[in-house]
Amino acid sequence: MTHAVKHHPGIPLLEQYVEGTLEADVALAVAAHIDLCPHCQQLCQDLAVEQGTQLQLMKPVDTQDSEPDWQTMIDSITAEPPLANPPRQHKGPITVQFKDKTFQVPRALARLVEQQTKWTQLGSIANNKLPAGDKRHVSLLYIDKDTAIPQHTHRGLEITLILSGAIVDEQGQYGVGDILINTPDDTHTPRTLPDQDCLCLSVLSAPLKFNKGITRLLNPLQHFFY
Amino acid sequence: MLLNSQSIQGHYGSSTLKSDAVKPMNEESTTHTRTGQWEDALSYVAVNQDKAAYAELFAYFAPRLKAFGMKMFGNEQQALEMVQDTMLNVWRKARLFDPTRGCASTWIFTIARNVRFDMLRKKQSRKDDISADDLWYDGNYPEQEDSGSHQWDTLLMAEKVAPHFERLPEAQRQVMTKVYLEEKSHQEVSDELAIPLGTVKSRIRLALDRLREALDDTRS
Repeated sequence: MTHAVKHHPGIPLLEQYVEGTLEADVALAVAAHIDLCPHCQQLCQDLAVEQGTQLQLMKPVDTQDSEPDWQTMIDSITAEPPLANPPRQHKGPITVQFKDKTFQVPRALARLVEQQTKWTQLGSIANNKLPAGDKRHVSLLYIDKDTAIPQHTHRGLEITLILSGAIVDEQGQYGVGDILINTPDDTHTPRTLPDQDCLCLSVLSAPLKFNKGITRLLNPLQHFFY
Repeated sequence: MLLNSQSIQGHYGSSTLKSDAVKPMNEESTTHTRTGQWEDALSYVAVNQDKAAYAELFAYFAPRLKAFGMKMFGNEQQALEMVQDTMLNVWRKARLFDPTRGCASTWIFTIARNVRFDMLRKKQSRKDDISADDLWYDGNYPEQEDSGSHQWDTLLMAEKVAPHFERLPEAQRQVMTKVYLEEKSHQEVSDELAIPLGTVKSRIRLALDRLREALDDTRS
């Protein structure tokens, strides 16, 4: 895979992902992006270090009198045996099939694609809903070459992560690992390349809430990196 | 992890739990913690199931995890459930902790976050839905080459960076000021602020990323 990921989630999204406060279905798309993006792997590691430091610097809230019975908790925990065999991570590539084609998908989707249902095809686009998220709004989308992608109207966000192939729109080209986030106001018209089909993860989310900082959803780092 | 169990024997004396090891929890919060202390303690737990080392870890982190849980759940019962489940994982999975890849506090935070996430999903009866294991890779991605912050030194000199510099989160701005304006070493900053060296490096990378993003914004 030679394509360098150019379109990243913005820092506020990554922060909420690391904190564990991001909506699960959006977090899934972010997690799959991170599996494909060394830059965001490093950023998230740094954000986790910061969260760990905050935990370490946190002031305990209890007074001596209100303290829970820690000793009982310790005794019950240390009575347990250590984990005998650490669970092994998924080995080898994780793949999905569409007709005679096989696509590789990121680790974050491994468990969900095992439970995938079946493809529903409509013209040049096929949809495979994954058992996740509210109202089953998480799906794999297969888009044949040279196809315009229909716009959904949706009050939340539409997140698309390219897993294979590419998508182009007025702003440029998106390849494997790139994430596109469309708000209901976006009016651009993405399509696949004339000679290449495309597999992506699509998440239709509820509107996001941000409690702090800028609400920038995409991180346009490509001008600096490439 | 190249730990010789022989050399570890005896460091904590006997592995039996001294009951007074967990008493002074509130005093504990004010005492200075030694660099590497919690990483070492985790290694003793990993290799020997050392209960004394575990009790030290517990005495420090359990009250803090509870405070963290109170902040997230706003409910003592759930906060304590999160503490118990997190600290159980710390005990049982200690040998999965790799001190070469990060601090004990980072590892413990990620366990607590995952426990909390799964608690919330379970409460919404979404057991078969997205789980913490899907979202957060319980392993290490291949190590990245450090892209080196030095290449940004000249960028930081640029005058147009100044307003964005002021807008960095306080923790990051403080570290950046000490490193780039006062020209202190990462180790000196770590000592001055009593934060792990890894945190200093992380804050610098995060700050540089924010500055890049901010500058990118001014361009367009």
